[in-house]
Amino acid sequence: MAPKFDLNDFIMHHIGDSYEWHIPLFSPIHLPHFLTVHMLMLMIGTAFLLFLMLGVYRKQDRVPTGITNFIEFFVVYIRDEIVVPNMGQEEGEKFTPMFCSFFFFILLLNLMGLIPIFSTATGNINLTSGLAFLIFVLMVGGTLMRGGIMGMWHALVPPGIPGWFVPFMFVIEVFLLFVRCVALAMRLFANMIAGHIVITAFLGLCILFGVWAGVLAFPMAVLFYCMEIFVCLLQAFIFVLLSAIFIGHMYHPKH
Amino acid sequence: MTPETTSHLGQISAAAGMGLSVVGLGVGVGLIFASFIQGIARQPELEGKLMTWTLVGAAIVEGIAIFAAIMCFLAIHG
Repeated sequence: MAPKFDLNDFIMHHIGDSYEWHIPLFSPIHLPHFLTVHMLMLMIGTAFLLFLMLGVYRKQDRVPTGITNFIEFFVVYIRDEIVVPNMGQEEGEKFTPMFCSFFFFILLLNLMGLIPIFSTATGNINLTSGLAFLIFVLMVGGTLMRGGIMGMWHALVPPGIPGWFVPFMFVIEVFLLFVRCVALAMRLFANMIAGHIVITAFLGLCILFGVWAGVLAFPMAVLFYCMEIFVCLLQAFIFVLLSAIFIGHMYHPKH
Repeated sequence: MTPETTSHLGQISAAAGMGLSVVGLGVGVGLIFASFIQGIARQPELEGKLMTWTLVGAAIVEGIAIFAAIMCFLAIHG
């Protein structure tokens, strides 16, 4: 008699982190105590990105073709539409490699979650919090390095407001500083996890109620899968766009 | 409030909360796309720029509803 199918367990098993890597059609690989599946995905993703970008860099053609053309589309779009309008021309060009790194990293980790062998590393709140913490350090640390404490004060409290309002403005702006970074982390994490929960729930419905519910539920799962591809791209783009806006707002306050 | 209902209080409230938050989400995203369509009707050349900001706005508004979804999901199990 087969054990009773627990939908809750099925969903949690597919979206959570664990020490066992389940490859379809093989037995689970038990990972060592310092490595979990999401960390393994990080390492595989980073290795793939390094391999890809170094290979593309070596080509050194005048007119890019193939993969280089594809990557150049994203890099030029990030530089011309996301970074430079928010941070000015020379500083934007200095910051473009960093935002491109964030974009390709998040995009690759999101897309890897859609392949059945791998799992979504950005579906781990710790990873997205780490990325948002990096943005926070850039915002606060960069402002302090560029202008000192007075630079930080001018970024938070613009010079033209009446004196009695200054304490409120300061409190609100400090609160907003933290809330924006937390929202960056939560938005990416929640979008990735929600997509996978929905897909796994529909597939679990197929298992739970047999073939006649499966005829309706399985195409829904496939449709959500297609929407997930769009959401992966969109969420990587939104992360980079919002962090460029926040950092540009702190460095050049245009109140 | 019998023990049968209070033991499932988390699940009932999570379902109700999720349904309520989707009301606001539907109105918000509908407003964004309504102004996108009106903007294109007035000036069709701005389609590229408007499309970018429409999608950004929709992603931000949906992010808020997805925070609510995650909190409801935690309420089911907590």
